[in-house]
Amino acid sequence: MDTMFVNLGPQHPSTHGVLRMGLTLAGEVITKAVPDIGYLHRGTEKLMEARSYAQCVVLTDRWDYCSAMPNNLAFCLSAEKLLGTQVPPRAQTLRVVMCELNRIASHLIFLGTYGIDIGAFTPFLYVFREREMILDLYEALCGARLTYNYIRLGGVASDVDADWISKCREFLEFFKPRVDEYDTLLSFNPIFLARTKEVGLISQSAAVSWGLSGPNLRGSGVSYDVRKSEPYCGYEAYDFDVPVGEHGSCWDRYFCRVQEMRQSVRIVEQALAKLPEGELSAKVPKIPKPPPGEAYAHVEASRGDLGIFLVSDGGAAPYRIHVRAPCFINLAILQDILVGKKVADVIAVLGSFDIVLGEVDR
Amino acid sequence: MSAGSDVVARLLKALPKAAAATPVKDYPTVRLAAPTDLLLAARLLKDELGFTYLEMVTAVDWLGPTSMSGFVCRSNPNPLSRKPAAPPLAPVPGPGVNYRPVLDLLWSFGNLGENGKVFLRLEVPRDRAEVPSLTGLFAAADWQEREAFDLFGVRFAGHPNLIKILTPDFLKGHPLRKDYVHAKDQYDEE
Repeated sequence: MDTMFVNLGPQHPSTHGVLRMGLTLAGEVITKAVPDIGYLHRGTEKLMEARSYAQCVVLTDRWDYCSAMPNNLAFCLSAEKLLGTQVPPRAQTLRVVMCELNRIASHLIFLGTYGIDIGAFTPFLYVFREREMILDLYEALCGARLTYNYIRLGGVASDVDADWISKCREFLEFFKPRVDEYDTLLSFNPIFLARTKEVGLISQSAAVSWGLSGPNLRGSGVSYDVRKSEPYCGYEAYDFDVPVGEHGSCWDRYFCRVQEMRQSVRIVEQALAKLPEGELSAKVPKIPKPPPGEAYAHVEASRGDLGIFLVSDGGAAPYRIHVRAPCFINLAILQDILVGKKVADVIAVLGSFDIVLGEVDR
Repeated sequence: MSAGSDVVARLLKALPKAAAATPVKDYPTVRLAAPTDLLLAARLLKDELGFTYLEMVTAVDWLGPTSMSGFVCRSNPNPLSRKPAAPPLAPVPGPGVNYRPVLDLLWSFGNLGENGKVFLRLEVPRDRAEVPSLTGLFAAADWQEREAFDLFGVRFAGHPNLIKILTPDFLKGHPLRKDYVHAKDQYDEE
């Protein structure tokens, strides 16, 4: 049978950035799929080798620009391990608040854009209303809406006041019923279900073997969450569940994220209730020079297990930094699971992984 | 970390020439003696010890501080300040650090059931950097090995599709090697 080669991307509304997929089709069925990445490769790992640790935090914002707080956090945790810094409790709690709000904001983008991928435009407008409120909170906090540079070595950059906290509580109260609204709008919409429920199935063993993480791994029924397995920033003191899917379909991955937003609300509420008084930051030298050594720290970022491996040779810049980027590793499975699928399902499957090309290419 | 030391003990028993290495902070770390040990160790970890999750594959080039020749790092002046922009930070050799012409490869494996993690490492010479590929055991090795191949020039023997992944086709060399010098291309400003 004749085959046809189709280029999906690099500029395509459904690839969420500059991603190219080379698809070989036999009729409507895909016989070969080759994801082509690297269009956004800026070499941040190399750039950091000639920058001080404080300057590196700025670069971390540029990986997963839809949820930059966990990037800041992963880098700082790793550098703090090297330096042996103890972060004060108020900063720990603020870090948790910001990362969880960022998880909500990031999952909201996913909900909106995934709806558009499947053909539902309306939810996009609703989720951006809510996301805007989180961005406003961030803007009041640190002046930035996208690349925050808020979590710094040793602590955080600025404090929250009573006004900020009450606005945040207001948002949470406003947001809770909205999640139910998304369920009626999108999650249980029959057309949406038909497009996603039986599509893009990933078995538990395949998900583990391909190294998936975050909601993509949990959608396949593997209950693995860094916040539970290796708690950081005092996550062991919070009461929350880790939602898992059943079959590993696109819908399971989608619905994991919806449920995670509810859990994030719970965590933020608990954190605000027990926000301790005290210092915002530990004492860290302006240009820190960690003693020679190696450290690895990872966090449950919005898109999965984000790990930072840092090597210091005693200098002012990291000798080597490696980013375990969840989006990069999540994307690799596409070449395997798209084979044998209909071309119409490519967008549904690709969208369900919630990739950010800034992190795929770094 | 009793479970961690158990894993290290099992690995050292199976691979007599391997040695417990200076740990990556707080995680059990084993240094392999030769590339041939890698597949043995990975199989043991995956089949008998439950480490089914290949978390990370990467490398460290121990040649010395990053070569600043050709490093694109323009100082960024602050328009509101009268002071000139600070010059870029040029890394200098750290005292007492054992710089040597090797690539230090690093693998990290996770045990999702018991929340364990173990690091394997292996030194290979920079000019003959070749190790067996783990793609037969862990699908996650596919792209991560391609990344290490692209950025460090490590050859993974047995990898089904060992081609560039992040850098553009015209780029020569391996950017994360410490002696890499950027050659001017069409995207450079001046």
